[in-house]
Amino acid sequence: MTRNDTAAAAPGRAEPGPGAPAPSPLKVLLAPVRGRVAAAVALQGAAGALGLVPLVCVAEIARALLGPGAPDHGRAWALVGLALAGAVAALLAGAASTLVGHLADNDMQLAVRRSLAAHLSRVPLGWFSGRGSGRVKKALHDDIGEVHSLVAHTLPDLAAVVAVPAVALVYLAATDWRLALVAAALVAAGIALFARAMAGGNAKLAEYARAMNDINTSAVEFVEGIQVVKHFGGHRRSHARFLRAADAFADFFVSWARATTPVTVASFLLLSAPTVTVAAVLAGTAFTAAGWTDPVSVVAFALVAPALCAPMNVIGSRVQQVQAAGAAAARVAAVLAVPALPEGAGGVPRDAGVVFEGVRFAYPAEGDREAQEVLRGVDLVLEPGTVTALVGPSGAGKSTLAALPARFHDPASGSVSLGGADVRDLPAETLYRTVGFVFQDVRLLRESVADNISLGRPGATRAEVEAAARAARIHDRIERLPRGYDSVVGEDADLSGGEAQRVSIARLFLADPPVLVLDEATAAVDPVAEADIQDALADLARDRTVLVIAHRLATVTGADRIAVMEDGRITESGTHGDLLAAGGRYAALWNARHRHDGTEEGEEQ
Amino acid sequence: MIRAFLRAVGPDRARPLAAALALTAFVSAVQGVVFALLVPVLERLLGPAPGTAAPWALALAAATAVYAVLRAASLYLNFRVGGSISRALHHRLGDHVVRLPLGWFTGARLGELNRIATEGVSRTTSLPVHTYPPLADAVVTPVVAVAALALFDWRLSLACAAALAVLWMVFDLSSDAVGRGDAARDAVADEAADRVVEYARAQPVLRAFGRDERGRTSLDRALAAEHRTARTLLFRAVPALFAYSFAVRAALTGILAFTLHLALGGTLAAPTAVALLVLAVRFAHPLSAAAEHGASLRMAVNGLARINAVLDARPLPEPAEPTPPRGALVEFDAVRFAYDGEPVLDGLSLRAEPGTVTALVGPSGAGKTTAARLLARFHDADAGQVRVGGVDVRDIGGEELSRHVAVVFQDVYLFDATVADNVRVADPGATLEDLERVAARSGLDRVVAELPRGWDTRVGDGGTSLSGGQRQRVSIARALLKDAPVVVLDEASAALDAENEALLTATAVGLAREGRTVLVIAHRPATVAAADRIAFLDGGRVAEEGTPGELLALDGRHAAHVRARERARGWRITAARP
Repeated sequence: MTRNDTAAAAPGRAEPGPGAPAPSPLKVLLAPVRGRVAAAVALQGAAGALGLVPLVCVAEIARALLGPGAPDHGRAWALVGLALAGAVAALLAGAASTLVGHLADNDMQLAVRRSLAAHLSRVPLGWFSGRGSGRVKKALHDDIGEVHSLVAHTLPDLAAVVAVPAVALVYLAATDWRLALVAAALVAAGIALFARAMAGGNAKLAEYARAMNDINTSAVEFVEGIQVVKHFGGHRRSHARFLRAADAFADFFVSWARATTPVTVASFLLLSAPTVTVAAVLAGTAFTAAGWTDPVSVVAFALVAPALCAPMNVIGSRVQQVQAAGAAAARVAAVLAVPALPEGAGGVPRDAGVVFEGVRFAYPAEGDREAQEVLRGVDLVLEPGTVTALVGPSGAGKSTLAALPARFHDPASGSVSLGGADVRDLPAETLYRTVGFVFQDVRLLRESVADNISLGRPGATRAEVEAAARAARIHDRIERLPRGYDSVVGEDADLSGGEAQRVSIARLFLADPPVLVLDEATAAVDPVAEADIQDALADLARDRTVLVIAHRLATVTGADRIAVMEDGRITESGTHGDLLAAGGRYAALWNARHRHDGTEEGEEQ
Repeated sequence: MIRAFLRAVGPDRARPLAAALALTAFVSAVQGVVFALLVPVLERLLGPAPGTAAPWALALAAATAVYAVLRAASLYLNFRVGGSISRALHHRLGDHVVRLPLGWFTGARLGELNRIATEGVSRTTSLPVHTYPPLADAVVTPVVAVAALALFDWRLSLACAAALAVLWMVFDLSSDAVGRGDAARDAVADEAADRVVEYARAQPVLRAFGRDERGRTSLDRALAAEHRTARTLLFRAVPALFAYSFAVRAALTGILAFTLHLALGGTLAAPTAVALLVLAVRFAHPLSAAAEHGASLRMAVNGLARINAVLDARPLPEPAEPTPPRGALVEFDAVRFAYDGEPVLDGLSLRAEPGTVTALVGPSGAGKTTAARLLARFHDADAGQVRVGGVDVRDIGGEELSRHVAVVFQDVYLFDATVADNVRVADPGATLEDLERVAARSGLDRVVAELPRGWDTRVGDGGTSLSGGQRQRVSIARALLKDAPVVVLDEASAALDAENEALLTATAVGLAREGRTVLVIAHRPATVAAADRIAFLDGGRVAEEGTPGELLALDGRHAAHVRARERARGWRITAARP
């Protein structure tokens, strides 16, 4: 398959085809557990309706006690039993709903984590170094939580909100239609007011979200920047901004409350249990006086009428939760839709040479950051078995260029080839076996030190692992760990930055890739450790094709070739001697350093 | 909870808040009276002469009207109080936090503080509106109703009182158990989520070594195990979750049976019995509603505890009468300091003269950074003195000290504003000329020249759109603009390229020549060599001190370090073919 075919075919998996309307992300997310969510909803509805049984029983007991003649003891006690049975059944249905809903949610979370894991192993590595990791974290920690609330709580609750008033209304209408009308009218008025309180609420809610967001942003800034804020004696700026946002939020909250409280409070009162009960009783008293109703029916209303409105108070927040869950599901779906890196199937590298040809690359715009072209036409040949050093000011594009052979990103135009084969044509496995890299930012896995090293070659024997650790100058340190090679990173293997770096070098000794990309460590570690790291790297570099990002010119004067990068281009290249003789940028950089080296070396001798 | 709440909002707001909460409780009591008045109305309505119910019905109507007005007023008040709480908490946190020593702000604390300032406060704001009223209803209303019951039938009243006591106990227990269960499930879910996040972050490593599939299998196993744990926890959580609801319903059924028993036994008139049943059902309602608020109550209590913990953190004491430093001489006099019980400085004595560059060198963990932090009063020394211009830093006063000491931090934070704004943090009144001047000395001028909008380029959230080296230069420019007589550069050259490293060394020397005291926590040989004096720290004290030449001549620890460095530096990466 050619590269173009792959590229064209791959996104098709992530995006819905044209024409077919995309199903909502929430539906897609819930699809595997739809049946059980429906069951949880039905059970919660049933629980709500069953919850009315005890109330109806009490009303019927009243009828039995107050009826003409001696009360029927058996019937009354049977009703007590029925009330208990109803209460227990309601509880069981509710518990079943909770259990079914949460279990469905648990399965859904597992499914989401699995599909994220599967997808993440196919997206370009560069995505992670941008904001990708943050997005994965948010999707997994926060967004999935929103969806959880929906599945496990909100949807079942909504079922109860519908079922309880409906059942109550049927019972009340059957008992006394006139009183039922009064109760229904009251509730209708409450709902109308409630709807009015909610109307225009969306705009207000958006404003609320904005005010809240301002607080969050300024709080984050205030807290993260506290060191700077405090140190520069001016808690003025950021502190003031934070307090301004806090005041704006409080003002908004109060003005919002002032505008909506009368209606909200009125609807709350109309829909609250005391009001509805009292209204039913007062109307009942009047109707009894008028001879329209039987006093016992008033008891039924005093007991059951509040059920007409009880759940209404929760509906507003539930609707918001449904919307929030929808948005959260969309964010999860967006992570799952990050285009995967199309994987090559053909290509075999002939040798360990690397060729950059007319490479251009831009980081896409993200948030308020504009798109930025970082590489503007780079041509560079790394001959097999040679060392090439990239030097230049920070921001020149060195790290971006060095990340291309391992396909952290694909170039926008131009190509990167490995032993004559375009890296995009290489199967992932071939690619990653050919190109090894050492990062400044070392990541060890929460596994044993031995496992971390044998990542380089799964199945390596302990002797091979130890040999690699020795070559990386870390064997002695590992032996001193509580459980030696079996110590687990982050548990009983507490390794410093420099030590972690050497573990990652040991990996490479074991993996033995013919092409090596090194980002020279710039983090300050102690000189002794640094010397060890550099000795290890020097051994590792032997006989490989090496591309090294150098921050200190002195380390690369012996490179076969030094390429000076500025502003996304290679402006000079040659050996140390060539470049000094040319008297260009490199010579200027070197001389800037060399002055101090001169003094230093003078004093050392 | 209420005490923690009042403490958190501070003495000024405590009174109105307490008043609002008291009014809410009073409204709940009135609600109890309304429910109690149902009894005489129904009693008469169901009795032989329904007409006699009318006066009681009027009283009920009047009480309900009073209830409605009070409830409305109380809700309105609580909304307003909510707003003022949000303001008060943010202000109190903001004002308090800037007074805390910088040493207080560890990574974990920063994250926690962030959560408190956003989620924590907003949750507390809704407390008087959404959480407190239903809880007051669940406590006060039943108590009033039970008291009223005693007027009609003491036996039933007693039974209800006993039931209430049991219910509150069950509420406490089950809400604790539910809280523990939720926490356990959250922990499992977080663990599983973290695993996937870790997997995402380790992608370069996993792919580099073609271990992608194996990585996924082990991830998958872990996820499946966590899924099973969550299931088990769920089955265990459900009984606790429903224990309270079950207790409410059981209690209600018990009271129903007891009332029926009394009525059928003839010791309680049927109309009274029915009316009392209505009362019992009505006050059971807020009791079962309380179950839904258990979780928010728990969260509110935890949130308040966290807010109070921050407010309880003590700022470093400020001198009653600040003494301005006389000059820029920096002295450490037998300074001891332990961090979390771990001694870091162990009798450090050191003098850094104005007009000189002093390099602090030594192995990691020797106490170099801590010494710098004590100078800027991130912490106070446990023993000994740190003096600037002859005055103990504790007597100088925070504002004055920060005018005297400028620090270039290792980790640079930039505000989401323009480059110019970020430099002006050090001096809001600085002119463009001032900025250009410090930019030239810090190497920021080249960065500004390359940025699309120069000084007006926004740096993005936390400075994310600048590279590490560029951010560092902003931070150096910021320190220069502060124009402080004492300058501390903490590993400032770590992320700089060769050219700027040289520039920085020159800047350090230049600052000293202007008469400032410059302390450099140095790793770069060039910086060390350019220093006037070197203090080699080890184990929290000065092991060797002198000019670079003297220390090399001494041939001690420093000289050994320099040789090791020389070996590292002397390393030339070449494709050394045999």
